[in-house]
Amino acid sequence: MSLDPRQDQLLAHNYDGIQEYDNPMPRWWLNIFYASIVFSILYWLNVPGVGIGKGRIAEYEKEMAAAAAKYAPAASQAAGVSDAEVLAVKADAARLASGKATFISTCAACHTAEGGGNIGPNLADDFWIHGSRPSQICQTINGGVPDKGMPAWGQSLKHEQVLDVAAYVLTLRGTHPGHPKAAQGSMEPASIEAGEQPGQAGAGGGH
Amino acid sequence: MNPELQSFTYDDAIVRKFLWATFIWGLVGMLVGLLIALQLANPWFNFNIPWLSFGRLRPLHTNAVIFAFAGNAFFMGCYYSTQRLLKARMFSDTLSKLHFWGWQTIIVSAALTLPLGLTQAKEYAELEWPIDILIAVVWVIFAVNFFGTMIRRRERHLYVAIWFYIASILTVAVLHIFNNLSIPVAPFKSYSIYAGVQDAFMQWWYGHNAVAFFLTTPFLGMMYYFLPKAAERPVYSYRLSILHFWTLVFLYIWAGPHHLHYTALPEWASTLGMLFSVMLWMPSWGGMINGLLTLRGAWNKVVDDPVLKFFVVAITAYGMSTFEGPMLSVRSVNALAHYTDWVIAHVHTGALGWNGFMAFGMVYWLLPRLFQARLHSHKLAELHFWLATIGIIFYASAIYTAGLTQGLMWRAFDATGRLQFPQFIETTMKLMPMYWMRALGGSLYIVGMLIFGYNILRTWQARPKVYEEPVIQAAPLAALEPARAAVPVQGGLWARFSGAGFHRRWEALPITFSILVLVAVIVASLFEILPTFLIRSNVPTIATVKPYTPLELAGRDLYIREGCFNCHSQMIRPLRHETERYGEYSKPGEFVYDHPFLWGSRRIGPDLAREGGKYPDLWHVRHMENPRSITPNSIMPGYSQMLTAKTDFDGIQKRVDAMAMLGVPYGDAVNRAPRMARDQAHALAVGIEAQGGPGGLEDKEIVALVAYLQRLGVDARRPGAVALAVPAAGGGK
Repeated sequence: MSLDPRQDQLLAHNYDGIQEYDNPMPRWWLNIFYASIVFSILYWLNVPGVGIGKGRIAEYEKEMAAAAAKYAPAASQAAGVSDAEVLAVKADAARLASGKATFISTCAACHTAEGGGNIGPNLADDFWIHGSRPSQICQTINGGVPDKGMPAWGQSLKHEQVLDVAAYVLTLRGTHPGHPKAAQGSMEPASIEAGEQPGQAGAGGGH
Repeated sequence: MNPELQSFTYDDAIVRKFLWATFIWGLVGMLVGLLIALQLANPWFNFNIPWLSFGRLRPLHTNAVIFAFAGNAFFMGCYYSTQRLLKARMFSDTLSKLHFWGWQTIIVSAALTLPLGLTQAKEYAELEWPIDILIAVVWVIFAVNFFGTMIRRRERHLYVAIWFYIASILTVAVLHIFNNLSIPVAPFKSYSIYAGVQDAFMQWWYGHNAVAFFLTTPFLGMMYYFLPKAAERPVYSYRLSILHFWTLVFLYIWAGPHHLHYTALPEWASTLGMLFSVMLWMPSWGGMINGLLTLRGAWNKVVDDPVLKFFVVAITAYGMSTFEGPMLSVRSVNALAHYTDWVIAHVHTGALGWNGFMAFGMVYWLLPRLFQARLHSHKLAELHFWLATIGIIFYASAIYTAGLTQGLMWRAFDATGRLQFPQFIETTMKLMPMYWMRALGGSLYIVGMLIFGYNILRTWQARPKVYEEPVIQAAPLAALEPARAAVPVQGGLWARFSGAGFHRRWEALPITFSILVLVAVIVASLFEILPTFLIRSNVPTIATVKPYTPLELAGRDLYIREGCFNCHSQMIRPLRHETERYGEYSKPGEFVYDHPFLWGSRRIGPDLAREGGKYPDLWHVRHMENPRSITPNSIMPGYSQMLTAKTDFDGIQKRVDAMAMLGVPYGDAVNRAPRMARDQAHALAVGIEAQGGPGGLEDKEIVALVAYLQRLGVDARRPGAVALAVPAAGGGK
């Protein structure tokens, strides 16, 4: 660089004592600048509608399709769960404890920590809107009740966690927590075995 | 001596005023920053006082730091250097004073209105319309004063610092006017004339260029004056300054849409923003190179001189953020960093490092010259430097870590194809140690600031009874040699352009030069703005998307008042981890009635674009009253006052009418908005009570807000919406 005759030549500029050299621009600087222009022109040819690219929506759909092919959908994971499967979890103290932990962190906001209900219905009484059988409870947790504002927890909890919570909910029945929410849904004997239709319970009353 | 010489003095009194304002507002802005940093680490710091809550104070912090601290620093440096570079006293002392007091009035009004929740909801353009008008007036006063000085100059050619000032003054005026066009509905309430996609585009055209022409070009101009002065070395390359000035001005203005990657903004627009940001990398670095290479032969001085130390770190921080900027603009990097703390880290490298350190360096250099006394303590200046530097390191390392952590946690899937951290709160909890460390870094920076203030105060105390006003003599412009081409230079295209005299001639023609700058900025803007507004296919309509009901509109205004958009986005990107978490991605047609748009730029809390119907009404009432009753570790402020404050039903009519004026098809509602709002509020309140919630809420703000929240994202899911095929989209359907 020092061999360049143009290096450190002072111009006849003087602004309040400030002088200026007229040094050549660094070569690497110019080269990267030109390269960024070339890159941009080439990239532009990839924009959907302008060039050949398919765009972000096509990429997204591809990503979703790949995931759908690879993983079982969350919505169906509880479909084949039997009452016995949930009851088996209920008998396992460690899994019950895990179910309790998930219940406290996830469900208690609406059903209260003791299950007496607040925003959501009472889970400790004998009245059920969407069925009291172990498999039904499991499916309600998994699929949620979107119309009533209960999220589909199968979307975010793992399948085992859904089972654990369902098992824990079974243990709440008859515990008589303080400040319980008024009964909703229909009275179901603890031994009920028959299936039933999903309830269409309005606030405060069953069908 | 030449009898033609004219005698004059410089107005340094105005520079002293701006110096004080720089320090005072800088301290205020940073203290507010520390408070909101603490609020994120522990919501207790919201004190349950509405006007101290995060959503209202965050804009106060950004506005104070950008427009009050950096703004006054710019005016300080500009008024000092312009007079000397043009060999002329400012055009009018009265205009200088009007500029100073006008600007301080704007800052005080910002400090009063923002905590009251009076906001336009556009980032860095939050101030409501009367203040916007005042800003325009004061800016014109500044411009007249500046260009008047230029006309009366006694220097034939304009120095590079002046070019940057010209670009800043003209472009900020254009940006400010076009982004703030709105319809007033009350003394401090207005609706943007743009909606949805277009509003988002205009906002980020403005927002990014506020960074460019308020925080970058003015400070580059000041670097070109104060750095060679302090180093006593010639500027490294005149030629480089020409090329990097013009490319910076022309390219920067396109870059805004890179803030909207993967949003409902058309892909061509965000890609243009990205590509121009990539091309901007070297033009930005031109300033850094010219700065650092100007220090050749002066590095020994850096060891002893706090002024140069501050400048060196400032220029280095500038170099880092202007590399990071183009990098963040790249789509795939942006997909990770957008909505996270990474962006917060990026702006703080710029604000604390570049703007802060440039301002400190300039003040330390100016103190002895303005107060005509020795700097009180060289040692304290050194201490300030080290505290501030360590403060930045703490801040940056904490918040870069937080940003990456958050971005990676949001997108993590487990082996079964589920989100690994489905509960948003899990990702928030992880950041707490980083948030405390950020507050520590900020505190160190502020301790440095206090030491700075003490040094200013003590130096000022040692001032003479009467300031000396040196009389300058210079020949008038007319007596100077006419503009002439410099010696022709051989070399490449750019060398010939600069050396052969084109540019040298422009430098002697300030009006031509200013017009060229304005043309560069406006032409570049129109290339993006016109297609955004004119191409109909940019925003395909969705038949089921209808205007908000009057009550929902009132609720939306409460959402704006509380600054909810500062923490919650309403824009789900077409990325699998986003649609799994939040539901179907957002479509452009969903926002056609959103004046202003509320997409947000940050997710301190989860996205709300599909919040409607996700939870029962009572859930929202309880959650707003005390977020921790629903989510135990939530850092959201509580809004219990909304359960007692009353909705202004009669005021709704004006709002609906204003929206109707903007083209929102309100039909019948223009005649009976309050009635409709009361009916809807009544139905909602009855429902909440029936769910087991508190009674008597029907005339309370909370009901309006819940009505709005329950409407979010609902229309596009109704039957009949033009659905885009999306296989296996999640979201609880």
